[in-house]
Order: sequence, then C-alpha cells, then structure tokens
Amino acid sequence: MTQLHESHPPEDTRSVVDQESPMPDHGQPVLDHETLTDVIDLTVWAGQLMLQHGADAERVETTIHYLGTALGCAWLDVLVSPNGIMITTSSGREFRTKLRRVPYLGVDLTIVSGVSRLSRRVVAEGLDRFHVRAELERISSIGAHYNRWLVVLMVGLACGAFSQLFGGDLPVLVVTFVSSSVAMFVRQEMNRRYFNPFLVTLATAFVAGLLASTAVQFGWGNNPPLALASSVLLLVPGVPLINAAQDLLKGYVVVGITRGVAGLILSLCIALGLLLAMQLMGVSGL
Amino acid sequence: MNGLNALGLVVQDAIWSGIAALGFSLLFNVPVRTLPGCVAAGALGHALRTLLMQFGVGMEAGTLIAATAVGFLSLRFAQHWHTPPTIYAVAGAIPMVPGVFAFEAMMGLLRIATQPSPDLGVLTEAIVSAVKTGLILAAIAGGITMPGLLFRRHKPVIQ
Repeated sequence: MTQLHESHPPEDTRSVVDQESPMPDHGQPVLDHETLTDVIDLTVWAGQLMLQHGADAERVETTIHYLGTALGCAWLDVLVSPNGIMITTSSGREFRTKLRRVPYLGVDLTIVSGVSRLSRRVVAEGLDRFHVRAELERISSIGAHYNRWLVVLMVGLACGAFSQLFGGDLPVLVVTFVSSSVAMFVRQEMNRRYFNPFLVTLATAFVAGLLASTAVQFGWGNNPPLALASSVLLLVPGVPLINAAQDLLKGYVVVGITRGVAGLILSLCIALGLLLAMQLMGVSGL
Repeated sequence: MNGLNALGLVVQDAIWSGIAALGFSLLFNVPVRTLPGCVAAGALGHALRTLLMQFGVGMEAGTLIAATAVGFLSLRFAQHWHTPPTIYAVAGAIPMVPGVFAFEAMMGLLRIATQPSPDLGVLTEAIVSAVKTGLILAAIAGGITMPGLLFRRHKPVIQ
C-alpha cells in the first residue's frame, strides 16, 4: 500500500479522492436562486408523477437524481415515503428543500415510462428546464391510450384466458368472459365517481361472483367453479404487490410494507366480495 | 406421441397466457409500442413453467425459474424499448398468479367456519392451498426481482 503511494505523485491521489466525494462540483456553474427554485419544482413534480402511478421507490429516486443533476444541480437528497416525497437540491452554497404530498392515483405505466425516459433524454438531447416543464405537462396529459370499451373486452378476455389456463372448457370461458367484462365496467364507473378503492374492489368482486355463480347453478361446463375463481382475477393487485417486493428487497422497507399491506387488503376485499355473492346465490366452491 | 402432445399443450398455453398478459397491459395503460414485449413476456414465462412441469418440476420451483427468466427478459426489453423493466415484469408475472389455489384456500377456510363439526381433512386441504399460494407468490416476486438485483448494482455514492 505504501509502495503504491510512493510511486504516485500526491496530486494524482487527490484528484481520485475528489471524484468520489459525495458532493462533486467539478467547476460546474453555480445555479442562481431562481433557477434552483425552478429545478426543485420540476424534480418534485417528476417524482410525484412516478410515485402516483405505480413506480417502485428506487426508480423514483434515481429518476429525480438524473433529472436534477442533468439540470445543473450539484447534488440532490431524496426521501421517498409511501405518500410523499422530500427533496433537497443544492448548487454551490445555495440549497432548496421541498416536500410534496403524493396521493395514490392508480397504475398508469405510460406516465412512469415517460418520466423515466425524460430524465435520460435531458442529458442525451441537452434539454433545458423550460423544455422539461413542457415535456412533463405533455406526459401528464397523455391520458388513456386505449378506448374504455376495448379495455372492458380485453380484460374480460384475459380472465377468460385464465379459466383456460386453469383447465376450463368453452362454457366456462364464456361465463368468465361475460362476468369479468361486466365487472370491469362496474369498476370503471365506480372509479370515475371516486369511490374508495377497497370498496370498488369489494363491489366489483361481488358483481363478478354473482354472474359467475350462474355457471355453478346451472352446471355449465366441465368445472363450473373455475368461472368463479377466474372472473375475479381482473382485481389482482399485481403492480402494488410486485412493487412491494422490489421495494422491500432494495431497502425501501417502509414503502414496501405500506404497498404490501394495501395489496393484502385488496386481496381480502376480493375474497369478501366473492364470498358475499356466493352466499347470496347459495353456491359452494370447488 | 407424448412429446407432440406436450408441445401442443405448451403452445396452447403460450397463446392463452399471451392474451391474459395483453388484457392486463391495456388495464395498466402501457405505452402502445411496448405491447409486443408485454405479450411476449406473458406468453414465454407461463409456457416455460408449463414446459418445466411437463418434465416433472414442481409448480413452485417451476414458477421460480420461469419468473427469473421473465426478470432477465424484462431487463433486455427495457434496454431495447427504453422503458422501465417493471412494464414487462408485471405482464410476465400476471399469468402465473395462483388464482385457483387462492380460491381453494379461501373456500376451505370458510367451510371450517360454517361446518357444524369442523373436519380436519378440510383444514389440511385449506392450509396446503394457502401455503402453495404463498410460495408461488413469493417465487414470482423473488424471480422477477433477482436479475435486477444481480446485474444492476451501483457503488454507494455517500460513504
């Protein structure tokens, strides 16, 4: 070790240490107060859009870092919590801190992907903060790509596909398709009226269960209860549970636990709605 | 004769799981250009699990292997289409969700509560289904997360 130090001039060692220091300022121009205010506003907005629409905590943090440093900040400290984001940006001796509450708005992977990509494009295409603001406005107003009736049909078909994977025959497929399509419609209508997500899940599972119970009552198909099990699968909280697993494994334990518990309660709501429907129809399981 | 049957089963399986992945991708409003990747992740993941189960691999182990494959595939797709890998990982994981086991577990537990004289056999079946549900969900989560943890490492910036 000493051998190594003696063979190099001391200036060399200094420059290596400088590069690895947590707050690099490689002669970067220092941002003025107004620019720094704008940059923190943009980063907190970008983070909010991602956390709101189903990004995992690590991706939210790295995207904020990319965006902030690309726009000229020397450093950012980011704290992602389950329903809020706190960011401190600094440049030279100036620093700004901002806290933003983030209500969960449901999964929209176009927004997650758009913001994540924007943070990379800032460096690649040399966008300035005015471009970034325009882009964030564009991304947040894209809206749904797919017609709502197309979604109803395709989600119905997806649940029908599940019944086939579980070994059902054609009548089971038809019953599953009809009941989960109607259930999807109910879910859209309730979501539009801002009902509580747990209540939406419960009611949707109830509707799906009522309709799928007909297969059991009339004995349609080779294994009628498969229609019951398949028709509620449109409600499976896939994104929250997968995000929960990633957050827990990557050290964002609080975010992970919160999302996991939300996913668990949603699953219990599915079970409860289905049970209510089956009790009402006098139908028993597999 | 058996090999051809198994191949037909796997192909059929890939088609249905591709449809399932497509439906959920629309539900999650993925970008239109990523739809082929989503369908591919869904179809390949579930078909791989079915193929492994044809060779006698258990469902839980098969899920772990297939989910890991989906994890690698999503990293590759993410590079190709410049998107977060989560999009493909979710589409690939959805068809493997143990819907029937979860349903059986729920029904079994309910039967214990409503039966006049609780039956030990029913309880055992319910617990078996519940454990299988948990194991398969854990296998999905671990499988699709692991490639990212293994190959996307960074040196901590703050020491």
